[in-house]
Amino acid sequence: MSEVIVITSGKGGVGKTTTTANIGTGLALLGFHTVLIDTDIGLRNLDVVMGLENRIIYNLVDVVEGNCRMKQALIKDKRYPNLFLLPSAQTRDKTAVNPGQMRKLTEDLREDFDYILLDCPAGIERGFQNAIAGADRALVVTTPEVSAIRDADRIIGLLEAADMQETDLVVNRVRMDMVRRGDMMSVEDVAEILAVNIIGAVPDDEDIVVSTNQGEPLVDTDSLAGQAFLNICKRIAGETVPLLDLNPQRGLLLRLSDFLKRA
Amino acid sequence: MKRRFSFHKSNSGEIARSRLKLVLVADQAGCCPGLIEGVRDDMIGVLSRYAEFDCGKVDICLTRMECAGTGELVPTLSARVPIRQFTNARNE
Repeated sequence: MSEVIVITSGKGGVGKTTTTANIGTGLALLGFHTVLIDTDIGLRNLDVVMGLENRIIYNLVDVVEGNCRMKQALIKDKRYPNLFLLPSAQTRDKTAVNPGQMRKLTEDLREDFDYILLDCPAGIERGFQNAIAGADRALVVTTPEVSAIRDADRIIGLLEAADMQETDLVVNRVRMDMVRRGDMMSVEDVAEILAVNIIGAVPDDEDIVVSTNQGEPLVDTDSLAGQAFLNICKRIAGETVPLLDLNPQRGLLLRLSDFLKRA
Repeated sequence: MKRRFSFHKSNSGEIARSRLKLVLVADQAGCCPGLIEGVRDDMIGVLSRYAEFDCGKVDICLTRMECAGTGELVPTLSARVPIRQFTNARNE
């Protein structure tokens, strides 16, 4: 059975594309046949985050318009045997595709894939409507900031109105040092405010920047963010995985100095 | 599981810089970066009719260069093909 999952947020810059790249790679690592679709027509980015930008010949709009066959547009990621990318078009805009065509596209992909992940553009207009059209399930990405949470709440409302079967929240860029100081909302605070199931929390991790620079998702590294993403993948696949301790491993001296400061 | 990143110490900012240069030139030229590979293969096909060379050493890339005369920066396809020897006959 295949599942179509849209990764959305409302607000831009909260980590939708990074989340899509890492969850997609993680699902492929777990053995699932996975395809990632960049639905941000005109502002494509998933290709560079995946490090597949030099392999693009055809794109999503070419498939929809019948300029090529689906197989010609899908880029196979040579690093992971189960992973494919359908890149977006860079020189067109959101109106090049309509929700009906997106529904048809995802239906066609169900035959060959276990998971179809859609990276949604920011905003609530046509691009969002296109991205959610064929989805069974939504992951809403937010950060523990007031603006992002407000937009996430709006998006959750729109997803309900569109009869999305299941909506889960990913809380991204959590800084445990700030949460401990009382300067950042905790994952529990966010869950309470939005009243939606949390499928995972991802720490703010420098390794994300390094991984994006290199075009290599970090889900198969031993970084804390990588482990958090892999846990989300396992939960998507139905496993029960306890929430990760987001406190970074620190040396004895630092921990001692923390203790003395608190004392 | 990989140990963090294989080249963690090599400066990933530099990798980002060089990747971006290529992506931005391709975006501005409105070309799919994947097409460059096609151009490369076709050029090798044509050139091999006239000369002997090592395919692995062919360097074809899209950069931005000053246009002669106007000095305007334009997307420029440049090819470097070290020739072993010309065959002095057109091989078909």
